[in-house]
Order: sequence, then structure tokens, then C-alpha cells
Amino acid sequence: MGTNNALNGVWVFGDYRNYFQNRVTLQLIAKGKELAEKRNTKVTALLLGEQVQQYAMEYVAHGADVVIAAEHPDLKEYQVEAYCALVAQWVEAFQPEVFLAGATSFGREFFPRLAKRLGTGLSADCVALEVDPKTGLLLQTTPAFGGELLAEVVTPNHRPQMATVHPGVFQERPHNPEAVGRILYPDFNVLPQSRVRLIRSRRQQIRKVNLEEAPVVIVGGRGLGSKAQFERLFELAQLLEGEVGATRPVIRAGWAEEDRLLGQTGKSVKPKLLISIGTSGALQYTTGIQGAEIIIAINRDPHAPIFRMADLGLAGDASAILPLLLEALRKRI
Amino acid sequence: MNIVVCIKQVPDEPTIRIDRQRMTIIREGVKSIINPLDYVALEASLALRSRQGGEVTVLTMGPPQSEEALREAMAIGADRAILLTHPAFAGADTLATSHVLASAISKLEPFPDLVLCGMQTIDSDTGHVGPQIAEELGIPQVCGVNEIILEEDFLMVKRLSDGFLETLHVDLPALLAVTHELSSVRHLPFGALEVAFSEREVTQWGLEDLNLREEEVGFRGSATQVWKLQSPPPRREGDLVTGSPQTLVDHLIRKLEALSILDEEDGHE
Repeated sequence: MGTNNALNGVWVFGDYRNYFQNRVTLQLIAKGKELAEKRNTKVTALLLGEQVQQYAMEYVAHGADVVIAAEHPDLKEYQVEAYCALVAQWVEAFQPEVFLAGATSFGREFFPRLAKRLGTGLSADCVALEVDPKTGLLLQTTPAFGGELLAEVVTPNHRPQMATVHPGVFQERPHNPEAVGRILYPDFNVLPQSRVRLIRSRRQQIRKVNLEEAPVVIVGGRGLGSKAQFERLFELAQLLEGEVGATRPVIRAGWAEEDRLLGQTGKSVKPKLLISIGTSGALQYTTGIQGAEIIIAINRDPHAPIFRMADLGLAGDASAILPLLLEALRKRI
Repeated sequence: MNIVVCIKQVPDEPTIRIDRQRMTIIREGVKSIINPLDYVALEASLALRSRQGGEVTVLTMGPPQSEEALREAMAIGADRAILLTHPAFAGADTLATSHVLASAISKLEPFPDLVLCGMQTIDSDTGHVGPQIAEELGIPQVCGVNEIILEEDFLMVKRLSDGFLETLHVDLPALLAVTHELSSVRHLPFGALEVAFSEREVTQWGLEDLNLREEEVGFRGSATQVWKLQSPPPRREGDLVTGSPQTLVDHLIRKLEALSILDEEDGHE
């Protein structure tokens, strides 16, 4: 690939496995470009796979200045060890300042191992990324203490400064077919991963839960008190033509399945209306709902943090409110 | 099959309170528990031991009181416990934490066939430490495992990864980070906790036992630093309504009408 100053800027890992559902790479290219401009450098997307040209072109159209497209039949499946070996070589050769990845299942498995191999720091699930004007360091804002606080994290002495970001935190740039970028096809040898081999892979069956596209989302938290109370939300969702989401403590309590999880380690939603019931408002959850147009919160504690991000807050007991609300709606619809 | 289970003592979520003036966690009244997914890892190790024999070792890095978590793990069924504790270990990020844990695992003889940990902790939720231990030990890893099938001298594991149900062949030794679907947690045998607290030994290793230097562990061995902590900014701050449940429901219905989610009702308002 030769020497190229453009390659020591901001790198974004190209995670394309669910390209149409998961736009996190495009969102990171947009954010990476903004960071790169502040640092007077470029944004480079890194792609590994069997045939990735179509994604490389998409990345350019969405703002990537350079795409490194590593194509090889042995890279057909995502593989942590083979990817680590290759990517670590390129990072050592080109010395990027910043390296970002989406907090997808693969990103969360691959990036920690890569950071360890490179001997550098990694922050998880950032909700904001900025350049510190004084030091030029990447300010990585990440939830701390169960999401009650935000921590501003820096990696002062190690490079690259690495971070993962949950899908939906940043906005992608519009597709621009006129955009100009360079696509590099490096030469390399790949050692296929032999110690972990994919035997079978099938797409999970079409999910009944389509939280991301529901115009109305009803979310229940542990404040509901019981599985029976939580299950009343399904009727509410049905009456309002919405879907039911849940917070981590609810999943942990076994009141709902993992595919309803919202927030840092679950889904991000942008409905027209979101009603959040019995949720305290920990940042790990609210990260996933900040894109909602209107948020209505119901919680018996008038000081619950959820009210600070609600357009309408109802301070009351959900177990008393829910039956009355269902009754009122049944009459109307 | 010799198995190491990495566990962490974490504050029980509902008891966490924040001193918003000083931006620190209020330690008083915080109950400590074993990270819930670590129980799942422990349970998986006991199931494998019951079929294959061998030893289960539980390992944790933390302040001296983390010993309670190890004793609880022994009460549940672990054969032995090692506490990695030293003042220099404090303030570690995941890079420094994984270094201490991996150093301790390397010291074990024989080297374990399997290292298990929970996919993430409820306090920091990064999920970094498992893969980083595997990297330092030079062994393969699989994260998000929800089923383990023991074969002759390898494992078949299943997991859900980005919408794909995957079955993977994993050579041993390996590290698996497990999720909560894997197994349910058994109840403590009667009296086991008492025995674990009064009669069992917990090995304690510090900096010197692991042949580590202060600059490679804890705060000094960390690549990341926390510059500051802040409260999340209010994002909207709409009206907060109090009153009887019926008053609240009336407010909510009016809001739904204003949003055109409900049709306005004749005579309403």
C-alpha cells in the first residue's frame, strides 16, 4: 500500500454482516470523518471478507476517504483470531490515531482481543466521541456505575485510541454517489483460524419482535414488580399498535426474552412515541431510546432520572395506572 | 477436565446510590453479590466436572472482601479458590485486569483445559476481560456461548451472534464467555455456606506471587484514564404530573390525542 499519511488518521472497522439492518459502520464513518477533520486527517474504513467491493463502494459514498479492502476466500466468515492477526499488522504499519468499531456481537468479541494484542486501551459502548481541543486526545464518553454517571475516558499514551459504539448513537451521512475515495486492495497472507471452526450457521428465524420499526414502543422496567404486571404491557401495545421492549433487569428476571432488550447491550429505537413504565432511567437503557420523538414516563419515584428525559412524566404507581389506562383505551379503540 | 472460572464481586444494582455532589458511588449500604453471569459460568463448570471429573478453580481479582464471593462459589461446588489481591491492583482498566488474571492462570499447574467467565458484568458491562485473557494466554475464545457440548477432546458450542445461530467446534484449551441462557443456577446445599466460610481455604496471591511489577498492573498498568465523571444531561425535561391514578391516565389520554395516536373524542375536554 506504500506510505500514505492519510492512513494514520481515524480508522473504522467495516462490519457488514447485517448491512441492511445494521448501519453502525456508516454511522461511525460519519463520526470518524468529523473527528478526522478536527485532527486534519482522513477517515479510513477497513474491510475483510471474501468479496467486499460493494461495501467498499458504499463506504466511500457515505464519507470514507480511504477503504482498505482485504479480500480472500479464507476470510469469508468472521473469525476473531485471523482478523486480529491481519488487522494488528496493518495497525502497526500505518499507526492510526483512532480506531472505532460498532458494538455488535462481533465487534464486542473482536475489538477487546485486538486492543490487548496492540497493548492499547479500549472503551466500551461510547455515547459520545469528541476531540479535546487542548490535547487533541479522543474524549470517549461512556456510561459508568450501572449507567448512573457518564465517564469521560481518554487513552493518553497508547495508540490507537480504541472505542466501540452502539448502533444508533450517531447519524450516517446521506449516500453520495459522487463522493470520491480510494479503495486499496492489500496483498497479504492469511492463516485461517483453525482452533475455532464454524460448523453451522443459520439466520435466526424471522423475528416476531420488530422493535426498530414499531411506531409505538412500550417499555417495562423492574419497577413493574412482577412478570404478571409486565405482561399487561402486551395488551397496551396491542391497543396502541406498538411493540413491547424491556430493560436489562427485566430480562435478567426472566419476564421477557432477550430480543426485547433496549439500550446499551440491546436495541436502539426511534419510534414516534415511547412509553416507559417502571424504568428508573439508567443510562444503559436510555442510550437505546434517545432517538424517540416523544417519551412518556411512568414511575412512582418523582425523582427518577427517567423524568429528566421525558416529554411527559407521570409520577404514580404503574399497577394502579395500567388497569385504568387499559380500560380507557379499550373504550376508545 | 480442569476448569478455571473467573468471577467478580459487584455491587447489587438496586442498592447503588450516587453522591451527585462528589460524583462518586456511595459505599455505605451497598450489598455485594457475585456477578449474575459468573454464576452461570460456575454452574457450567460444575456440569462439565460431573461428566468429566477434574477440578474447578474459581479466581477473582479484587479487594480483600472479594473473598466472600470465592467462599460462596466454593459453597456452590468449586474445589478451590484463588484471590488475587494487592493494593497495586486497584484502579485497573480491562487491559490491566486481564493481565493479572491471565498471569494467575498461567501459573496454574496443570494449565487448565477450559477458562470460563460471564459474558459481561453488571457494573461495568464492557465484556472485554474474557477475550483479553484469551489473547494473553494465546488460547482461542468464543463469546456469547449459550450451550456447551463436550466431545472427545474438543467442545461444540452454540451461540447467537448478530442474528445468526452458530455452532462452533472449539479446540482446547479455550476460553468461553457465557450468557444467561446457558443454565439455571442451583440452590445452595444446606449448610454449605457455613462450611465454605469456616473450613475451606482461599489461596491468596499478590504482586510478588505473580512476578508482576507495579507499573504493569492497576492504575499504572492501565491504558485508559477517567478524566471526569458527570451526571447525564437532562435531555427533555417535560412536565411532571402528580395526582390520582385517574388524573394521570386523563393526562396521558390527552397527550395521545395531541399526538394523533388516539382520535379526539367528541365532548372530551
